[in-house]
Amino acid sequence: MRMWRMFLFDIRFQWKHGFYLIYSLICIVYFGILYFVHEDYVEKSLILLTFSDPSALGLLFAGGIILLERGQGVMGSLFATPVRIREYVLAKCLSLSCLSVLAAYAIHLPIGGWPVSPVHFTIGVALTSSFFTLIGIWTAVQCRSINSFILLTQLYVLPFVLPLAGYLDWMHSPFMALLPTHGTLILLDGAIRVVGWQETIYAILSLVLWIGGFGWLTNRAVLGTVRKLDGGKSHE
Amino acid sequence: MIQVKELKYTYPRKKQQTLRGLDFEIGAGEVFGFLGPSGAGKSTIQNILVGKLQNYEGAVHVFGQEMKKAGVDYYERIGVSFEFPNFYGRFTALENLNHFRSLYRNRDAEPMALLESVGMSQAAHTKVEQFSKGMKMRLNYCRAVLNDPEILFLDEPTSGLDPVNTAMLKRLILQRKEAGTTVLITTHNMQAAEELCDRVAFIVDGEIKRIDTPHNLKLRGGERKVRVEYEGDQGRSSEDFALDGIGDDARFLELLRYRQIITMHTLEASMDQIFIDVTGRSLV
Repeated sequence: MRMWRMFLFDIRFQWKHGFYLIYSLICIVYFGILYFVHEDYVEKSLILLTFSDPSALGLLFAGGIILLERGQGVMGSLFATPVRIREYVLAKCLSLSCLSVLAAYAIHLPIGGWPVSPVHFTIGVALTSSFFTLIGIWTAVQCRSINSFILLTQLYVLPFVLPLAGYLDWMHSPFMALLPTHGTLILLDGAIRVVGWQETIYAILSLVLWIGGFGWLTNRAVLGTVRKLDGGKSHE
Repeated sequence: MIQVKELKYTYPRKKQQTLRGLDFEIGAGEVFGFLGPSGAGKSTIQNILVGKLQNYEGAVHVFGQEMKKAGVDYYERIGVSFEFPNFYGRFTALENLNHFRSLYRNRDAEPMALLESVGMSQAAHTKVEQFSKGMKMRLNYCRAVLNDPEILFLDEPTSGLDPVNTAMLKRLILQRKEAGTTVLITTHNMQAAEELCDRVAFIVDGEIKRIDTPHNLKLRGGERKVRVEYEGDQGRSSEDFALDGIGDDARFLELLRYRQIITMHTLEASMDQIFIDVTGRSLV
């Protein structure tokens, strides 16, 4: 299966470019920080940290991979093979999800122990990572430089951070429930509490729908900028 | 194999057409060369034929199918070697070839054997980032033939190669032709075009100025004369003789009989000269 072979290659690509090493170092730093957090705040801190970093690492890493592949000039040759865009994108999402899940557990286990519901925690990290990976690819294929990529991703990601305000009881709005990251926080909460099945279905459905939407956008963006050099747009 | 009719193309946000009504056909097993100066539209033609550009006007049929409707399965049947040989730099030559091979349904090709065929078996386990341009170009060729394509697109295949490797690559291309592969070459290398191509098309400003076999182009572009260089009384001299009736040319026969001949060449045009005549530009 081609997607599986691309997934394995992506893992090796990330390994060879030091992504795993970088993230191991980051995990050590986080571990050090959490070690000094008061135990009353450890659980929430862990959830917030898992939300903001391992789950969202796909955003920057996917962008980095795309810009690296583009910098090495391999995109042209890659898309002169029968590889399908969905296979390319899915392989990136899955490989970065693996890294996210590994990193999330590496941070969580030494401090918080085994999650109350590993299934919720794992699904939450994996789906959120895929979602942010899609935003990363979508943005990166439209950017020519790392600076414009970083600038644009910050802009695009901003709305998806809003549910954190609800999670911390700073502000509540029904609008937040529409965002996929609201679902992320519910699933990540599976690390510290039992999550009901209705909440679970809502959270997974919300993330899956958003992933579907951004998957479609990403597919179009890759098609228009990499696979077809004239963007599938009229040039008249 | 390939039929192109009234092909026009304008790049997005450009007013001027890059291709301005091209017509040509390429048969199965033919080696066809696109020649012309930079910016003439050669790469645009290749990009249309490999499905990278689809907003063209006119008709482009490959394998009997309109290119606008070609799906990704089209890439199972073609091989493309781009002008710039780009690879995953931190992977070895063999790892790169194994990865690209894994993307095809036809995975019969043996990457190690391909590397051997281009004299690179010793470099199989070396990271590509350490390769010279010439090595990357040879690896580029290997990647293009991984799926044993029916049509092989080669953009400047001899660029950066020394004469020995150029000769080797030409031999490999001709072996492909003998095996029935259709080969499309885009190049500035007139010698390579002459030796490899059954027919060539000169592209200038988005139009085909001439299309024929290299042999016919050379005959038509030259003079029906022979130039004889000989050892004369005052040192070396040369004289030209018309080919028509040359057997009765007393002066020509005299030179042959009584002088030491240094060289003797017919004056058909060289491909370089045809390029300059057709394009109005000199070769770099």
